[in-house]
Amino acid sequence: MVVKIIEIIASPIIAFVIGIFFLGLSRKIMARIHWRYGPPLTQPLIDVIKLFTQRSVSHGGIFNLGIILSLGGSIVVVLFLPVGQLAPLSGSGGMLVILYLMLLGPLGIALSGGEAANPNTSIGISRKLILALGYEVPLLFILLSVMTHYETISIVKIVEEQRSAAWSLFSLPLLLPGIAYLLILPAILGIRPFEVVQAPQEISSGPMVEYGGVFLALAQIQHAFSLFIGIALFVNLFLGGASNPAIFFLKMLVVFIVELFINAAFPRLRVEQAVKYLWRWPTLVAFIGLIAILIIR
Amino acid sequence: MDRNQLAKWFKEPVKMGHKYSLYAVYFCTGCGIIEIPPSITSRWDAERFGVIPVATPRQANLFLITGYVSVKTLKAIIRTYEQMPEPKYTVGFGSCPINGGMYWDSYNTIKHLDKYIPIDGWIAGCMPRPEAIFVAVTHLWTLIDKEMANGYKRYREKYTYYRANQEQLFGKLEWPPLFPIGDTHEQLAKKKS
Repeated sequence: MVVKIIEIIASPIIAFVIGIFFLGLSRKIMARIHWRYGPPLTQPLIDVIKLFTQRSVSHGGIFNLGIILSLGGSIVVVLFLPVGQLAPLSGSGGMLVILYLMLLGPLGIALSGGEAANPNTSIGISRKLILALGYEVPLLFILLSVMTHYETISIVKIVEEQRSAAWSLFSLPLLLPGIAYLLILPAILGIRPFEVVQAPQEISSGPMVEYGGVFLALAQIQHAFSLFIGIALFVNLFLGGASNPAIFFLKMLVVFIVELFINAAFPRLRVEQAVKYLWRWPTLVAFIGLIAILIIR
Repeated sequence: MDRNQLAKWFKEPVKMGHKYSLYAVYFCTGCGIIEIPPSITSRWDAERFGVIPVATPRQANLFLITGYVSVKTLKAIIRTYEQMPEPKYTVGFGSCPINGGMYWDSYNTIKHLDKYIPIDGWIAGCMPRPEAIFVAVTHLWTLIDKEMANGYKRYREKYTYYRANQEQLFGKLEWPPLFPIGDTHEQLAKKKS
């Protein structure tokens, strides 16, 4: 019981540290790709400290509650994801719960931003929900094929099965869903070429346009958590999880750096181009993978 | 630069946070904005100082007023400044906001920007080089360290003065006062006599 409580407290802290580290790393690596020196690795932490100590303007009750819902939803998802052996709540519900709770992040931001009644916010929210609609369809196919192949919804069991056999990404029936997940991962993380939601040059950072001070700090922490969730799910399902958090972190780091290079190399798509792409190639690949798994069984 | 001294971070985290994380609102007035793109991108890289441009005033705490300020732009500047969360720092960039510069006799630009909003520091020159922005940032750090970058406190205390100047220029303003307005100096003098 005590161990369980410690695990429940520890796993969001680990996710927060890794997420903030990834945010700092992304700024540093992007700077080096641009041939700049770049900010220190701790810059996101400095930003969060500053933002928490600023006076901030609220726009009403839902504005406050929505951002907390978004952050809380992300923290709850983290509890269901096993990080090495650290798996506080993953015994109950498994992937179905994650699939439901992953929507709370965008939904909370949408509720909160909607209260501010800024035109840029409305555009940003609609883009966020459209993009979520775009990647949820292939994600559903991918999770279905993983669940069908291993005949379980528990992520812990999937990780164990991969330990005895090969990683799912390199085993034949799950190769196609793995590739599809890699194709939609930039959309889940909200980085280029799918950075349509924030888009500071077009719509003044979208849903965040009215966030200042504490609200922006919470939104940045939520962003760090969502980075962690998107990559950790991939590592657990397709890269064989890990036996301890250190190896898990290394695997996440490799995936994240690959995503950063994609982020640096591609320009931003328009929102309808993004949805067209997401509903065409990743969905097709994931669907063929699902059919193949059904035929093989 | 004492950004890497951990002891200072534990001693006064608030001040250190405000020093090393400056979000500059991307607001362009006049020709000075031509110096901003090279200084935030690869050539001069403002991000290594913790300065990044943000798109909205709600997220910003540094306001660079780049170049001459026409009367019409001043209205937008005041509204942007009032939307920024405290503490906020303002830097006048170039000689035009200081005393009018080459527009000293123009009918349509304002001559002294610090009559309308409080300014924490000036960068002289026409145009200042991008290096001058970084010198200004390091000076701003010193000012924040000594708690002398208190323009936002001045705006709160002397709001009556600033609002009177703004109203003198624009006539009636379209937005309500940010802080409660006390008596102006003339009214105080009348009351005394």
